[in-house]
Amino acid sequence: MIVPLSHLLIVAGLIFFMGLACTLARRNLIMILIGVEIMINAVGLTLVGASAHWRQLDGQLVVLLLMALTSAEVSISLAMVVYLQRRKGTIVADRYNEMKG
Amino acid sequence: MNAKLLFLIPLLPLLGSASNALAGLYLPRRLRGAIAVLAVAGAFAATVLLWPLADGAGTRVSLFTWLASGALRADFGLLFDPLSAPMTLMVTGVSTLIHLYAVGYMEKEADTARFFALLNLFVFAMLCIVLADNLLLLFLGWEGVGFCSYGLIGFWYANLDNARAGRKAFLVTRVGDVFFAVAILWLFTLCGSVGIPEILQQTGELTAGTATLLVLLLLGGACGKSAQLPLMTWLPDAMAGPTPVSALIHAATMVTAGVYLLCRLFPLVALSPTAMLVITLVGAVTALYAASCALAQREIKRVLAYSTMSQIGYMFMAVGAGSVAGALFHLISHAFFKALLFMGAGCVIHLCDEENDIFRMGGVAKRSPFVFWMFLAGALCLAGMPFSGGFFSKDGILLSLFAQTGTGYRLAWLLGLFSALLTSLYSFRLLLLVFAGEPRRPVHGHSLPALMRWTLPPLALLGLTAGLLNLPEAYGGHDWLTHQLGSLAGRLPAVDHLTEYLLALVAGCLFLFGALIAWDRYRVVIDRTPRWHQRFLLKGWQADGVIDRLIVRPFTACAEFCWQGLDRSLIEGLLQTLAAGCLQLGDRLRRLTSGRLSHYLSGFAWGLLLMLTWFLLTLVKQG
Repeated sequence: MIVPLSHLLIVAGLIFFMGLACTLARRNLIMILIGVEIMINAVGLTLVGASAHWRQLDGQLVVLLLMALTSAEVSISLAMVVYLQRRKGTIVADRYNEMKG
Repeated sequence: MNAKLLFLIPLLPLLGSASNALAGLYLPRRLRGAIAVLAVAGAFAATVLLWPLADGAGTRVSLFTWLASGALRADFGLLFDPLSAPMTLMVTGVSTLIHLYAVGYMEKEADTARFFALLNLFVFAMLCIVLADNLLLLFLGWEGVGFCSYGLIGFWYANLDNARAGRKAFLVTRVGDVFFAVAILWLFTLCGSVGIPEILQQTGELTAGTATLLVLLLLGGACGKSAQLPLMTWLPDAMAGPTPVSALIHAATMVTAGVYLLCRLFPLVALSPTAMLVITLVGAVTALYAASCALAQREIKRVLAYSTMSQIGYMFMAVGAGSVAGALFHLISHAFFKALLFMGAGCVIHLCDEENDIFRMGGVAKRSPFVFWMFLAGALCLAGMPFSGGFFSKDGILLSLFAQTGTGYRLAWLLGLFSALLTSLYSFRLLLLVFAGEPRRPVHGHSLPALMRWTLPPLALLGLTAGLLNLPEAYGGHDWLTHQLGSLAGRLPAVDHLTEYLLALVAGCLFLFGALIAWDRYRVVIDRTPRWHQRFLLKGWQADGVIDRLIVRPFTACAEFCWQGLDRSLIEGLLQTLAAGCLQLGDRLRRLTSGRLSHYLSGFAWGLLLMLTWFLLTLVKQG
């Protein structure tokens, strides 16, 4: 592998924390979902890197599975966002506080 | 003659009670009363017909085994012997007349089914006491009369005072019942049986101390039922019930159950001279106490209630002096004339527009000479007019007291004589206040139902002639009752005829003296406000107040403390604090769920941070 694993891990870690920061900082549902996607992709990157490093195909296999799952997840979550927009008139996450204890 | 027929005597009233209790409301009014009267009359007829079975040692018969557990075996068994037979005859006979009277008395009452059911059940329970061959069945009857008395005193329960009087009677007699129950259990452990003949056979093996304690326990039970000191406060209040109830329960039958118990177990009682002296003194003091209270009462029925208490005191004295025959004799003659007096009082109250206060009556003799003559007969018996039933029976008791040696008995004799004087005094006070002179209050005419009138003459006749039952030889009689009782008669006083005449003379003088004092004081009625000593007597020597201070209030305070101090404050407080703590904790936890997505997400992030830190730390440790 041309790129050393440590570099890849650093990049993946950076991407992951950027995604996390996006998720935590933003209140817009779509932006939160984007943050989640970024984190998932960071994880995928790590898996691919690790798979190349140890020359094992399992990692890439999991990434393929991850992509399929992500697409399904995104389609469902976007549908829910549209639904929420229609029903509550907003997609600001903090407005949804009916579950308050 | 089939001995099993004896079971008809108690079971007929039970049957009457059951039919009135179960179906009474669906029966026509006349039928309810008829069932009750016929049931008791049937029991009376059965007693008369089966009388020969009581001869000699009597008949003991068992219907079925009621309880059997280990050595304990209690049959539903009857003992019809010379002691229980006259008592049964008296109970059923007087009850029949009172039931008839009650039919007239309750003419306008709505709820007669309950009344007659309880009245019949009462007769059943009383017959259980009288006829039981074991102490457990006797105790069943003992509690049964207590229950019926409770139900009948509080018959007009809509008035809270009546209900309270019923409760008081129930609770006070229950105090005595505890002593009796302890005595039964103790006798069972000592003798291994609850059968009365079995126990009496084994009494010789008891030590003197045990016997004394046992008899004192029995005395406690008898005091409760028979309203003797110190458990007497319920009887005057029991007059809240309908008049037939007062006549039946609180004069003729139930209150004599204590005396009967002591007579029944007399061979046991006789083992302990100490306990016998105690019985005598309890009777003597009660006789004096009640007679003095009767002097100041204003309500006609309360006068009679106190006089009942006083007369039962005489019966206790007789048992204490060892004369079972004397006690039974007075019991029977007293039942006749006291039932008569109560029923007469019911008539008088009816004639005076339901007025109870004797100071507001007067002149009843002119309005109803019939009731006057009947009441006079009863009052003369009570006061002990020479040659009436009450005279012979009371004289017999005083005689047997006189025949005993020892200062205790001599003191009891003197108290008995003084009480006899007071008895004569309050009897004539009652007569003069109620019947003499002019009405002190305008009254409207009321006619008496025929049944209320015509049940009086038989009782008056029986009361006046009751002396023939046990006419002493000194008067040409044959002591029939004493001979009938045979070995059960107890100790007979050995006195010569001269002493007997002298004592009778003394009693006659006391009767006259009491009558003269009453004539002097109450011929002209002045209704003054009572002075302190009259108030003291009116309140029954403040016995209620004393008991209230000594027992009721400390008990209430203790209960209050247990309720407010322990239960409310300590236990509930502890639980409340615990529950409040849990609630508060839950409230804190609740705040965590803010419902905001961002909070949850930051929760995730913090969790992640925590996990990463932990991984890092383990790495460093391993590293």
